[in-house]
Amino acid sequence: MEQRSILLLFLVLAGAATIVFTLVYLSSRKPERSGQGMSNPLNKRFWFSLILFVILGIFSSVTIPKSPYYLFADETPTKVIHVSAMQFAFFLSENAIDPKSPSNETIMLPANKLVEFRVTSMDVNHGFAIYNEANRLIGQTQAMPGYVNRLRFKFKEPGKYSILCLEYCGMAHQVMRSSFVVK
Amino acid sequence: MFKDIVLAVIAVGFGLLLNAQSVSSGLKEEANIYGKVFDAPLRVAENDSLLFHGLYNRKPLILALVFTRCYGVCNPFLLRLAEYIQLRDKDDSFSVLVLSFDPKDSVDDMKLLGKRYGLENNTQWTFAVTDSIESLNRSIGFYPSWDSSIEQFDHDALLVGINNEGFITKKLIGIRQPHDLDLLIASVNNIFSPTYRLPNRNALFSCFNYDPKTGKNTPGLGLLFIALPAIVTVILLLSISYFVRHKPLG
Amino acid sequence: MESTKSKKITAVWILTVLVLFIVSIVLGILMRLNQGGSIEQTPISFYTNMTTHGMTMIGIWFVAGMAAINYLLQRYIRTSFTINVVALVLTVIGILLFWSSTFIGKFHAAWTFLYPLPFKQMGAESWATLMFLVALTVLGVGWLIWSLSLMTQLLKKYSIPQAFAWQHFRKNPKFETPPFILITMITLVGIIACLISAVVLIVLFFAEYFSSGTFVNDALLMKNITYFFGHTIANEMLYLGLAVIYELFGEVSGRPKWKTTWYVALAWNFTLVFILTAFFHHLYMDFVQPQGLQIVGQLASYLASLPAAGVTVFSVFIAVYRTEIKWSLVNLLFFIGIAGWVIGGLGAVIDATISNNFVLHNTLWVPAHFHTYNAMGNVLFSIAFFYWFSTRQFTQNFKVAKYTKWTLALLLIGGIGFLMAFYIAGADSVPRRYSIYPSEFTTAAPLANLGAIFATVYLIAILIFFFNISKRCLKILSLPS
Repeated sequence: MEQRSILLLFLVLAGAATIVFTLVYLSSRKPERSGQGMSNPLNKRFWFSLILFVILGIFSSVTIPKSPYYLFADETPTKVIHVSAMQFAFFLSENAIDPKSPSNETIMLPANKLVEFRVTSMDVNHGFAIYNEANRLIGQTQAMPGYVNRLRFKFKEPGKYSILCLEYCGMAHQVMRSSFVVK
Repeated sequence: MFKDIVLAVIAVGFGLLLNAQSVSSGLKEEANIYGKVFDAPLRVAENDSLLFHGLYNRKPLILALVFTRCYGVCNPFLLRLAEYIQLRDKDDSFSVLVLSFDPKDSVDDMKLLGKRYGLENNTQWTFAVTDSIESLNRSIGFYPSWDSSIEQFDHDALLVGINNEGFITKKLIGIRQPHDLDLLIASVNNIFSPTYRLPNRNALFSCFNYDPKTGKNTPGLGLLFIALPAIVTVILLLSISYFVRHKPLG
Repeated sequence: MESTKSKKITAVWILTVLVLFIVSIVLGILMRLNQGGSIEQTPISFYTNMTTHGMTMIGIWFVAGMAAINYLLQRYIRTSFTINVVALVLTVIGILLFWSSTFIGKFHAAWTFLYPLPFKQMGAESWATLMFLVALTVLGVGWLIWSLSLMTQLLKKYSIPQAFAWQHFRKNPKFETPPFILITMITLVGIIACLISAVVLIVLFFAEYFSSGTFVNDALLMKNITYFFGHTIANEMLYLGLAVIYELFGEVSGRPKWKTTWYVALAWNFTLVFILTAFFHHLYMDFVQPQGLQIVGQLASYLASLPAAGVTVFSVFIAVYRTEIKWSLVNLLFFIGIAGWVIGGLGAVIDATISNNFVLHNTLWVPAHFHTYNAMGNVLFSIAFFYWFSTRQFTQNFKVAKYTKWTLALLLIGGIGFLMAFYIAGADSVPRRYSIYPSEFTTAAPLANLGAIFATVYLIAILIFFFNISKRCLKILSLPS
């Protein structure tokens, strides 16, 4: 889901919750003389929980297969970009990056082709987050020292993409960034 | 007391660390990954030649680069590889190509090499030479250099994983642990694991060790540390309950 | 029953928490103003403020919950006054040490102090990390002693099956475990587990610190332990607040006390399991974590909402729906707090979905949802307790005063406005923990200023509560013992 639809979903759910709480509160302001309280509460509780369980079950079975670990797992990438993060810069290269003398290259990526980012860190934990031209976060992985995370992605639209650090890494975290171009 | 246990574990850890074997730098192994291997013409016998793709299209390939006059790493390297593959219970999901990068090597030299390891009739193994070794070397990022003072090539012991589309999926330099070879074989079969560890790191306290043979993670020592709080809490709960309820009278 | 001594120590806890709360809110407002460009702080001051804000907030609402259950537990068991004092002293020392590490030593690795950042901070004093680790040790030891002492006292009266209400799984149980005891027990077990994980974490930090480079930790392991501790403590402090609600809601509403039934017992026993495995959702974007655990993380996070919604929230509905309730500030705050908790929970469940987390992780959506169930949930639970505690020493009349309605309105308007600024910015992909925003995020700075304004409104409401409550708490302190 895109962030906007997520926000909408949240606002609808939060609004519904607020209405329910308000109605319950108001009902206690004028309790009816006869039949105090909720009738058959155990039964209602059971159905409420069951429905919630089913909704959550459906939601997880739909969303789990969309997890980023399974993205394009059975294809061979056209391009590999090595990413090495350090306080407070990203090094991007088509070749493996030597931690002793890291080099940075201008990266051009083909549109609609599978690209694999191999992301690691030379010092602390960093985030590797890809933002499109509209400044929308479209995907991310963490850069963890000692490990390589492989993020596979297909860029549909050509343009300039930004990379921001999304794991707090110290005093210049907010200016740690890079970019690449998709043609 | 709890801290003592942890410190003891750490002390043992230091000991293990000192003995830990260091692995060659992973840097060169990352070069040319997912590049296409050069489609070189291979000669496997005097009048039997084929193009490289004829081999990898049939089955994913492990490519070992050697030369027959080598009195350095080539022999132990091949021996380890042969032993390892024999131990792998007839896994025929891949084949092995042993290719000479020495232009002086002939088809017969390579045949002899195969014989030495008792592999001349093993269909999983192919021994070959090529006349386009330079283009092939470039496509996989392999750069041996001739040292005329000792009449030998200065070179890495290199294994290259090639999937059945001809893409390089993984490279291993040096004589490596079976675990790394497992990863190599998994990679040529296009089994994607979204992560791997970098060599030369302290793996002592890692939570999991990925086993490419089964595709499963086996718990590491680190996992104990994650489970420890819960275990200690249960022990505390039970022992406190026991002691407050079985207080000696008087 | 409650002695004057225990009233006094509880009053001291409340005063400590409220003073620290106000300071932390001010730090938070300063952060939002800086992000909005209205004031100018150096990045290091911003991040030290952020670190102080986070750790202090977690600390005070944890001890607020603990102090509340400690006070109420005296209705059922004897608790140790000495240990309560020890916990108070160690908490104050720990916070002072921690504040010196941040304000003087410029320690700024955030309250999550994710390894190896504490060892690799630029611009911090060399002693700051050590001081921070010592502060953490002092806090951890104090809280561990406190929790273990309360658990020991509980186990003196209740056997393990009774404390966990297992007899309620059978028909017609002979013995009823009060729900307050059940939830307290479940929560204490979780707290002890997470404090022990903090001990493991600190030991590993110290081991690397003192090995001068020969021992290096595994970043993945450290992250797992960090969030086992961080996630669990943030969750358990909410449950401490819920325990108080189970105990007091009926009482202050002039309704029968809540009872333990088989489903209440079942729900809370399950909660213990989910709470200890849900922390995996903090590592979704670490692809190195085995995928099985990632899925466990999503399922546990989803399932944790079931007992919460089906039992606790539903019980509140049953208690209120069409019943004649004596509404007072206490149960009103409980009720609004439950709503805040539910809404924050919705935001949390959305973010605990791996495929959503892919585009939400570490954006402002994260502070948005946890501020919802803290600032509009847990804080209200605790303030309700504070108000109830401080008032009932002098009167049994909890009627809502006129100006109280206005205070509540300020609290709601301030809270909702401040949270919406976070949610909208989160949906605009604005990163969290940025001292200033890159210029391309055009909505980020205006939203930050808006957030600061609404947070100030929230602060005014809190200040009114503070004067009200602290006036009476000071009176309690001057009672003859």
